[in-house]
Amino acid sequence: MSETRIADVEGVDRADQLLRYRTGQRYIHLLVASSFTVLFLTGLPLIFEPLSFLAANGWSRIIHRIAAVGFMAVPFLYLLVDRQGAKELIVDSFSYDKDDRRWLLHMGQYFLGNAEGMPPQGRLNAGQKLHHAAVIVLGAGVVFSGLVLWIWAGQLTDVQLSWAALVHNVSMLGLVLLLIGHIYFTVVYKAINAMHTGYVPRTDAELEHAKWVAEMDALKSREPQVPPVEQDPPPGAGTR
Amino acid sequence: MSQAFLLDLTQCIGCTGCVVACKTGNELAPGVDYIEIRNNERGTFPDVVAGFDNHRCYHCTDAACVNVCPSGALFQEEGLTRVNTDACIGCQYCVQACPFSVPKMVDGVSRKCDGCRDVTRAGGTPWCVETCPSDALRYGERAEIAAEAHRRASIMREKYPNAQVYGETEAGGLGMLVVAPDDPEVLGLPINPDIPQVTEAWQDFAQPIGVGAIGVAALGAGLAAIIARRSQLQGGHGQETADTAAASAAADQDEERS
Repeated sequence: MSETRIADVEGVDRADQLLRYRTGQRYIHLLVASSFTVLFLTGLPLIFEPLSFLAANGWSRIIHRIAAVGFMAVPFLYLLVDRQGAKELIVDSFSYDKDDRRWLLHMGQYFLGNAEGMPPQGRLNAGQKLHHAAVIVLGAGVVFSGLVLWIWAGQLTDVQLSWAALVHNVSMLGLVLLLIGHIYFTVVYKAINAMHTGYVPRTDAELEHAKWVAEMDALKSREPQVPPVEQDPPPGAGTR
Repeated sequence: MSQAFLLDLTQCIGCTGCVVACKTGNELAPGVDYIEIRNNERGTFPDVVAGFDNHRCYHCTDAACVNVCPSGALFQEEGLTRVNTDACIGCQYCVQACPFSVPKMVDGVSRKCDGCRDVTRAGGTPWCVETCPSDALRYGERAEIAAEAHRRASIMREKYPNAQVYGETEAGGLGMLVVAPDDPEVLGLPINPDIPQVTEAWQDFAQPIGVGAIGVAALGAGLAAIIARRSQLQGGHGQETADTAAASAAADQDEERS
């Protein structure tokens, strides 16, 4: 008997659920989350002196650089496995319409867990757009300054080295603050399941991303009907 | 009480006795030295002056190495900069930041003169001072060392008009007061060895503010999550929660059917 899981029938929206994160996107997210966590934990001893003993002997530096390779590979892998998704993410993150501006004016309500009555949003709400835009900018800052510290530290003056370290550390602090916000909204809106399976309940999507749902419905209406997912017959029904 | 070294370049004869004593006393590995003696010849014939540069840690009060060190391996004590090599993480920030180019990486950790910490704390005299045959080196309370440096400089001005004391104000005051026979730049000493402002910006502002902001944000997010959850439960805004549960239940049923 084959096992049919929601995540395995990707691309087929169920009546009550919508596909929000494709498999490639979910694995990219996993890579970002895991590499960033390692980078944060191995970098923390460098700015928080009580933990500096964890960095003695240089092991954390080696681990930090291995995780850095994974983190730097993210944009390239994203383009490789889901070019359209990567392009949409970048464009969406820096595109704001009237509804987005209205949403931001009312974001206090959303912050405290109430999405009802908020201005309609696309696939990313305005807060998510700001979050991703900031992640892109600060991520670029932390990557380029990190490469400078890694590869060119020996050729820098004391002032240049200090600037590279300052940009690296401040960018990382910004990313950690964004991560705290990211985790907060994940908990408040119970969104962890969406990144696990890729699907969100349609009613949630209609409440928080009405314009995206409308776009999906419009697309679906223009496409040929997708045949229903084939399932194994229930036990005892094989001869019917 | 602040301690300091006196380095009288007008008296140094370049014998390298201090180099050998330092190396032996501190049991430094081959190729590792905390002191470097360099010939310093300046002027053109027939007005040639020759002497020696005694290059070593100058023990800055506003020490760039201590400021950039992320692990506390470099620290200040009794007016001198010390090194705890066990705490060094090998980031090399101190190597790059030092305006005197003093710290060196040896076996992946930063090494430099620590003012013979173990010896002096036991009541002894640093190895280099103990060995110097020409009284070019002294060690003691900073005020006394400063007075001795000025006394020597005033005497030397009869022979060297530009003789001066280097290190009283540079980098917040050095723990190595140098009796210089000429202007600092002529002797290869930086005129302004202060810490870059950008370094201080991180150490004094960005780092404490950043660490504080992370703590406040984490605490605030935790409290806000509790408030939001209670608000969802009381106000019926938890629709997505119910839907999520329903979706999970539907998925479970699908799996059971398959």
